[in-house]
Amino acid sequence: MKIYFKTFIAIIFGVSLLGCDPAEKQNKNEEFPILGRKQFVERTVNGETVVDTIDHTIPDFRLVNQDSIWVTPKSFENKVYVADFFFTSCPTICPTMKKEMLRVYNAYKNNNSVAIISHTIDPKHDTVALLKDFAQRLDVEAPKWNFVTGNKEEIYELGQKGYMVTAMEDENEEGGYIHSGAFILVDKEKHVRGVYDGTNSNDVDRLIKDIDRLLATYNEPKTKS
Amino acid sequence: MSLKQSLSYITFLSLIFSTGCGSYSEFSSEATKDYSRAEMQKFAKYMVAGKQLYTTHCSNCHQESGQGLGKLYPPLAKSDFMMQNVNRTACLIKNGIKGEIIVNNITYNQEMPALEELTNLEVAEIATYIYNSWGNERGFVTVKEVETSLSNCQ
Repeated sequence: MKIYFKTFIAIIFGVSLLGCDPAEKQNKNEEFPILGRKQFVERTVNGETVVDTIDHTIPDFRLVNQDSIWVTPKSFENKVYVADFFFTSCPTICPTMKKEMLRVYNAYKNNNSVAIISHTIDPKHDTVALLKDFAQRLDVEAPKWNFVTGNKEEIYELGQKGYMVTAMEDENEEGGYIHSGAFILVDKEKHVRGVYDGTNSNDVDRLIKDIDRLLATYNEPKTKS
Repeated sequence: MSLKQSLSYITFLSLIFSTGCGSYSEFSSEATKDYSRAEMQKFAKYMVAGKQLYTTHCSNCHQESGQGLGKLYPPLAKSDFMMQNVNRTACLIKNGIKGEIIVNNITYNQEMPALEELTNLEVAEIATYIYNSWGNERGFVTVKEVETSLSNCQ
């Protein structure tokens, strides 16, 4: 009986080991997709029709940060960056999001290839001066972490069409706005590479790992083409 | 059963008994040392309910650790502002606050929303929890105290 039992345990143990291994390998080579709707554009090359696939790209924007400096896609040239949407008087998920974003900030404090942009969805209230005060109280600085304001419609459209997250006014919502708690990871080509729950520590851990992974892809020798 | 096995059983069982089973050691402090068993039981109930309410309504800003966040949201842990005045705290929980306050020599200026839907009991549970966590040791904040405080809010 005892021997049977031991064999049984050994088998269970063995199976569980076997089970783990492939999963982990898969994880390592996991795809790092470009998110968003793709566009297919036909064009003619040497009389033949070819179809180009165009990946979703963050559209152009021009917003002003806490130091009264214009922030545009050019501000993130040669950087990967993380974007989110919030407002300073938000009583619900924003404080948690800011606490989590602070972890991202501190993780890449000395890495110039990473930046952060937080868009206010309440530009009427969140003036440049208020955003400056907010940033100082969090003890963070631009250009590493930009708190931006601007035209309300532009910000909402950028959120919905560009970063593919919800950001709009809703008087029924606590605080008066409805917005997603997402952190969006954008690569150097302005493609969205990941969307993470900014209120969930585990998901933000995953974001930090993915930023490392994304940065590593840029340092890779160009053997693949 | 070998001696080694019996020993490990005994250790296991004693571990189970020592971690709970009727004692409220996890809630006891200098402030609660003279509480009767019945009082202690009630206190523990407030602490447990208070923690749940705190997690729902307060911890987004003040954090689970009661440490607040930077200079945006003030700490409750070892907060001089809070420890000075329980009446004011009860009013703040219920009615919120706007404008500057100074906590441990730092000026904070972030609006705190009102929680008008809270009952006096719930305010008392939250108050009991925050006044007896993270190194704060004040003891019970009773419903009666809260009632009096709330009828005298400024």
